Amino acid sequence: MPTIEVKQISKRFGQQIAVDHASFTVDPGEIFALLGPNGAGKTTAIRIILDIFKADSGTVSVLGGPMTEEKKNRLGYLPEERGLYQDVQMDRSLVYLATLKGLSAADASRKVDEMLKRFELYDHRKKKIKELSKGMQQKAQLIVTLIHDPELIIIDEPFSALDPVNTQMVKDLLREEREKGKCIVMCTHQMHQVEELADRLVLINEGKVVLYGGLQEIRRSYSGQEVHVHALTDLPVELPGAVRVEKDNSGYRIHLEPSATPQAFLQTLVERGVQLDKFEIAMPTLDEIFIQVVTTEGNLQ
Amino acid sequence: MKKFWLVFKHEYLRHVLTKRFIFGILSVPFFVALSIGLGLLSVILGTDKRPVGIIDHSGVLAAPVIYPEKNDGPIPFTTFLFFTDAKQSQAALDNREIQGYYVLEPDYLTTGKVALTATEPLGTGAEGDFATLLRINLLKTQPIELRQRMLEGPDVTIHSVSDSRSVSPDNILGIIMPIVAGILFVVAINISGGYLLQAVVEEKENRTMEIVLTSVSTDQLMAGKIIGNLSVGLTQLAIWLIAAVIGTIFFANLQSDTGSVEMIRSYLLILALTFLPAFVMVAALMAMLGATATEAREAQQISGLFSIPIFMPLWFITTILEHPDSALAVGFSLFPLTSPLTLPVRVAISTVPAWQIGLSLAILVAAAFGAVWLASRAFRLGMLRYGKRLTLRELLRGTA
Repeated sequence: MPTIEVKQISKRFGQQIAVDHASFTVDPGEIFALLGPNGAGKTTAIRIILDIFKADSGTVSVLGGPMTEEKKNRLGYLPEERGLYQDVQMDRSLVYLATLKGLSAADASRKVDEMLKRFELYDHRKKKIKELSKGMQQKAQLIVTLIHDPELIIIDEPFSALDPVNTQMVKDLLREEREKGKCIVMCTHQMHQVEELADRLVLINEGKVVLYGGLQEIRRSYSGQEVHVHALTDLPVELPGAVRVEKDNSGYRIHLEPSATPQAFLQTLVERGVQLDKFEIAMPTLDEIFIQVVTTEGNLQ
Repeated sequence: MKKFWLVFKHEYLRHVLTKRFIFGILSVPFFVALSIGLGLLSVILGTDKRPVGIIDHSGVLAAPVIYPEKNDGPIPFTTFLFFTDAKQSQAALDNREIQGYYVLEPDYLTTGKVALTATEPLGTGAEGDFATLLRINLLKTQPIELRQRMLEGPDVTIHSVSDSRSVSPDNILGIIMPIVAGILFVVAINISGGYLLQAVVEEKENRTMEIVLTSVSTDQLMAGKIIGNLSVGLTQLAIWLIAAVIGTIFFANLQSDTGSVEMIRSYLLILALTFLPAFVMVAALMAMLGATATEAREAQQISGLFSIPIFMPLWFITTILEHPDSALAVGFSLFPLTSPLTLPVRVAISTVPAWQIGLSLAILVAAAFGAVWLASRAFRLGMLRYGKRLTLRELLRGTA
């Protein structure tokens, strides 16, 4: 049973269509990326899933049915608009928000202490939120998101305001949660982070789903007629099947004819006596796919 | 329901445990006590304890009765010292032994002429005490009841046409108390409303709305916030009322009792009936403002729009007291923002037709429901609009 099942949801604000018949599912034990350029409708989709907004049409099922008050205790959400009670001491603020997630006051205090130590914030626990640095506030928010051990974790822009050390820490944390079988939805436009972490993704542009599936399948399906070659010898001048050869950092990027296959081209290289150090089918980065999809969409309209 | 209590507790304690709240709550009774104390002090300091001299050539004060039979004021009756001639009294005045001296001429009984010699005005009450002394001694041959009656004058009581309520100069406390309680009540409404306004805007300013909304339902959140912040106002009101009761008991010991229990009772009943819907109405209006405004300062400024009509009846309080059945008073008791202050006062001092009380309370309850409806709508529509104001048109038409 999928943790989230979104079917044909639409949402309109005045004349503007924020989400347009979007459908996707998210399974337990996976990191799912919700991608899209700014203003694509990602946050609106998340808010509909969380029942903050009502969809104009379509249905959403979370943890096996519509959102209920009881289910709110089983999900952790880190919104894009970060915020905590600025004038309240950090530990008090965290304990209050943890009790709102169904923890008893005693459990909440104990877990807050544990998490503060883990996130290296324990020494700052008596400070007001507004006295903390941005990175510390971000970590405090992550504590609020994870403290009640939620089954479903939804994080909007998880790495904003984090330095490389803390970014790595959050990545490890998300992987750890995935290992525990949690379902994680990551909403972002930072493609390289997604490539490292996500199992599957959906790409939304102007409210519509334009790409949806496993990360590797998508990259493979967008891998064009290109191969990366590292050779110990020079490449012959004549290369049947190749349209263009570009030198890149440590080898060559070779664009193949539309009719050529990578396998046939590899055979040609071997037959020509080229000593290969590395031969790989060039997979496009998510950035490239993203730009390609979004601009093609734009051109179509 | 459990989360409602969590929100309630959080909202209540975060205000009540602050130094600002404790200071605010203590400052009002403190300043009231201080100003009363200063007033008393100035009276006491203004009282000259030295005696006042009298030279009586008329014989009215031969074998005088010095003290009146009844003296219930806080200041002691002036001491009088009798002299036989002006030389002695002038010497006493020069030595500052007396405040001054009166001379009653032989023809005093026919002319009423009395001369006063003093270097400065006599202390508080001395002239009145001299007049009382003269009256007592002029009437000393009359029976004590007659003398008492002539000294105190008539005790006028104003009765309302149809029932037992009455106002007399004796139960002046009965007129003042409804007004003071009304003011305290309205101040408490405004304070809680202000806290609530801040509590709602703060969620928006701190951008905690989404976290809170994915933890607790809007109904429980708003109920917790409204009741929590109203309780802050009620705590304040309760402490002030306790201080007022202590103060009243203190003054009641100084001043003889007032016979206005009946009036106070009907006043308190109507106050309680107007109290709840008015509290909810103002709280909801403030919450609505909080949800529509973009920041606390802006919301605070607009909230004056509600505070002004609530206080307005005070500007016309004399007219309302003198003509409790005038069109103005009736209008004020029907309009939901002015009725909390007007209706209880009218009920206390006159006979208000039942239909007016019923209609006024019905309008107030309807206004409270309307305000809550608008507030929850504004809340859903406006909460996630950071830095963007919700317009009245959107509020009445839009959906979230």
